[in-house]
Amino acid sequence: MIAFTDIVGMDLAKQALMLLAVDSELGGVVIPSAVGSGKSTLARAFADILPESTPFVELPLNVTEDRLIGGVDLEATLATGLRVVQHGVLSKAHRGVLYVDSLSLLDSSAVSHIMDAMSRGEVLVEREGLSEVHPAKFMLVGTYDPSDGEVRMGLLDRIGIIVPFTAQNDYRARKQIVKMVLGTRDAEDTRDELNMLAGFINAAKEQLPHVSITDDQIRALIQTAISLGVEGNRVDIFTVRAAIASAALAQRSDVDEEDMKQAIKLVLIPRATRMPEKEAESNEAPPQEEPPQQEEPEVEDQDAPSDTPDAEAEEEQKETPDMIEELMMEAIEMELPDNILNISLASKKKATTGSRGEALNNKRGRFVRSQPGDMRSGKVALIPTLISAAPWQETRRRDSKMAGRPKTALLITKDDVKIKRFRDKSGTLFIFMVDASGSMALNRMRQAKGAVASLLQNAYVHRDQVALISFRGKQAQVLLPPSQSVDRAKRELDVLPTGGGTPLASALYLGWETAKQARTKGITQVMFVLITDGRGNIGLQATFDPTAEKATKEELEKEVEALSLSIQADGVAAIVIDTQMNYLSRGEAPKLAQKLGGRYFYLPNAKAEQIVEAALSF
Amino acid sequence: MTQTEPVAKKTAAKKTVAAKAKTESAVKKKKSGLAFPFTAIVGQEEMKLSLILNIIDPRIGGVLVMGHRGTGKSTTVRALAEVLPFIERVAGDTYNRTVEQYLEGEEGKKGGKPIDPATLKVEQIPVPVVDLPLGATEDRVCGTIDIEQALTSGVKAFEPGLLAQANRGFLYIDEVNLLDDHLVDVLLDVAASGKNVVEREGISIRHPARFVLVGSGNPEEGELRPQLLDRFGLHARIITILDIEKRVSIVKLRREFDDDPDAFMDKYNKEQQKLQKKIQTAKDLLSKVTMTDEVLTDIARLCMNLGIDGHRGELTITRTAHAHAAYKGETVVTMQHVKEIAGLCLRHRLRKDPLETLDAGEKIDRELAKILGEAEAV
Repeated sequence: MIAFTDIVGMDLAKQALMLLAVDSELGGVVIPSAVGSGKSTLARAFADILPESTPFVELPLNVTEDRLIGGVDLEATLATGLRVVQHGVLSKAHRGVLYVDSLSLLDSSAVSHIMDAMSRGEVLVEREGLSEVHPAKFMLVGTYDPSDGEVRMGLLDRIGIIVPFTAQNDYRARKQIVKMVLGTRDAEDTRDELNMLAGFINAAKEQLPHVSITDDQIRALIQTAISLGVEGNRVDIFTVRAAIASAALAQRSDVDEEDMKQAIKLVLIPRATRMPEKEAESNEAPPQEEPPQQEEPEVEDQDAPSDTPDAEAEEEQKETPDMIEELMMEAIEMELPDNILNISLASKKKATTGSRGEALNNKRGRFVRSQPGDMRSGKVALIPTLISAAPWQETRRRDSKMAGRPKTALLITKDDVKIKRFRDKSGTLFIFMVDASGSMALNRMRQAKGAVASLLQNAYVHRDQVALISFRGKQAQVLLPPSQSVDRAKRELDVLPTGGGTPLASALYLGWETAKQARTKGITQVMFVLITDGRGNIGLQATFDPTAEKATKEELEKEVEALSLSIQADGVAAIVIDTQMNYLSRGEAPKLAQKLGGRYFYLPNAKAEQIVEAALSF
Repeated sequence: MTQTEPVAKKTAAKKTVAAKAKTESAVKKKKSGLAFPFTAIVGQEEMKLSLILNIIDPRIGGVLVMGHRGTGKSTTVRALAEVLPFIERVAGDTYNRTVEQYLEGEEGKKGGKPIDPATLKVEQIPVPVVDLPLGATEDRVCGTIDIEQALTSGVKAFEPGLLAQANRGFLYIDEVNLLDDHLVDVLLDVAASGKNVVEREGISIRHPARFVLVGSGNPEEGELRPQLLDRFGLHARIITILDIEKRVSIVKLRREFDDDPDAFMDKYNKEQQKLQKKIQTAKDLLSKVTMTDEVLTDIARLCMNLGIDGHRGELTITRTAHAHAAYKGETVVTMQHVKEIAGLCLRHRLRKDPLETLDAGEKIDRELAKILGEAEAV
């Protein structure tokens, strides 16, 4: 086991955990990071800097609802005849740490329970005849690999600190960790360092109530939250707390601008949904098309405090609120250029299949719990059925004897029957891929939007989800990640640029990645709905490298073919809808459908409903 | 709060040892959960008004609060308990029944003897607010046979569930859009009939379960089933507050509360009582509030112009407008009252058009303006 102080690199993550150790009201720390970066080692080492008896509970990904929130211990109950209560994992973490590795792979009902416990500080157990309240005030420490998918926003909203994702940092930390593991370290040194750190944190905890923050400083932090487009008001409280904890760590009694920058970096920036107004225009375009020139050479997170604002601050101690805001903007700008694309929440990253995702895939349709139900409406859960029948045997035998019915070994009634309930999301994910190039783009986009909305209106019943990818110019883009929400779809689809080239391969690739991600989250079926004439003219090369030479027609075809075959082999269903009113059609769309092993529909001027019908009929 | 404790103890005495432990934990819950005071909540007027109007007239049919994360949805609902008025129930009755309901229920039972109402004691309790957590199982929601009593003494005794506790009170579901389908079915059933029926092990229990349904959630996490959406009388929307000064005061109030909750509660005690009194006064005034036929016609026309199916829209507006007038201490409903609550009542009843870009609220305002304009011109 590697100690907290032995871990080199990941300084920002370490700072984040130290802030949490000082003020547990920050709710938790989330560390997004690539595989093998040592993030879970660090998270587990967090226990080192907490008081000795602090509970540290690791949540298994496949946790059942019973284990999570607690319930009746049926075995013990049957054995003793008294109701024996079993506390759940959430309540076991009370006054301590709940650690989740691969937070983004946690299934949605578990996430909901964690969210609920965090907002109450306790767990309400209303199950199996039990009505109890168990205290569950814990710090949530979560790590995840963003390529596995994202963590639900509602959960992140309850966690104070999100460590900005930086790929370089991970790589470096990894190398150093390897060194650390290989190298020998004096156990005594480690212990001394840990003791020192613990003392440091204790002192900060004592300092915490004596730190003050001015109204102007609060105002500046809130202003920053607003200009970064951070949703909700809860985040203000976290930002202020983080700034205060940072001051306490430095044994100061006033929050200074370093503390504020730290808070902005760890609480606000990772939640940014837009760039601050000043920067808005220059950063809207995809980075490939505009080489970053105005930015300074990379500033590593390793040494976050920077020189220039420091010097200024020393010059003038009493800043006006405007001055503070300016400084904040500076902090943001310094942080944003290299990070903005890595910011987990605001970006849609390319996915790579992790071994973990596959493993979970095999558990698709996992049995979550049993519930009362009709025997014919599902699979009977035998053990729970027997358990629920067991307590009644005595009384039933008596009743049955009185009624003069013949004696049977086991008396089971329909009330006892429990059926298995499987994981919630098992619907189909429809991935719409819309050709937004050329002159008919607007029309196709409108049809696709209508179809998306219409599918979503009916999606509830089937637990289906819809995603939308548009392709134009150099590359495809996920406009709507897999979602069930009509509101969200509407919002995201409001403004859509059209025109330019047709990067068909890029669209297929992105769709495939989206499909793979969805599968790790329990979606069993994926269907591509391609609305295009099938005439791609931009190759995959161009997507990643703008300077690449134009691909030849043959290369383009080969690319699309290879992708299509892989997608088909992966069990993704597909339909291709050709809406072009074009008598000179060269038959690319039917060919594409054939390559994908899907069906081709020719629907000139298709209405949204027709598209939906086609998708559902398949 | 203090009122409920002796009640809890009394019921506990009748139950077995384990049941007693259970009640104690319930009492503990009340103590630990010192809620942020309702009157200290900054902004979010739409949600606050919806909740208050539902207290004044529970027949409005509840409220659905949808909106951004971290905007105080559940804080506000949980704060509600402290400003609720009192109701009278038969002492210790788990179903919170009035004397009348109690007699009807108990005498209707098989072999029930007539009960002399004079022998029944009554007590005042605050309107109950019951939390339905997402992980609740059906048996705890509806009630079931007490497994312990069955095991130890072979007696089949009914153990009431959350629906029983919520009778005549509020039933709150946070993240209502994520509620399990089978629980939604149960809720729809009970909400429609006002009764909860449980049949198990040869016994059949039927008890009143009328409650104000309060749900909250974030629309981006999932849609609400249309049938359930339709059940909610009002639909309040809540968004991130963008006013900096308001947000500064939210942060400061929250910090003050976290530092010393008791002192904070004391500070707001007066305001809390004032609001509680104002609500009670409005409740008393409600039966005296009247509405002219002209206003009623305008309401009907509004619903018709907006193409709202059924009559639930009109009915909700009418009731809500009455409650709103009463809250303002007025006895005649005017179109001004209607205007202030029309969005709340109708927003979720407009037919959904996937390609509609106009916000439901704007559409309602536009129709209202037309009607008001017409009314003035005539």
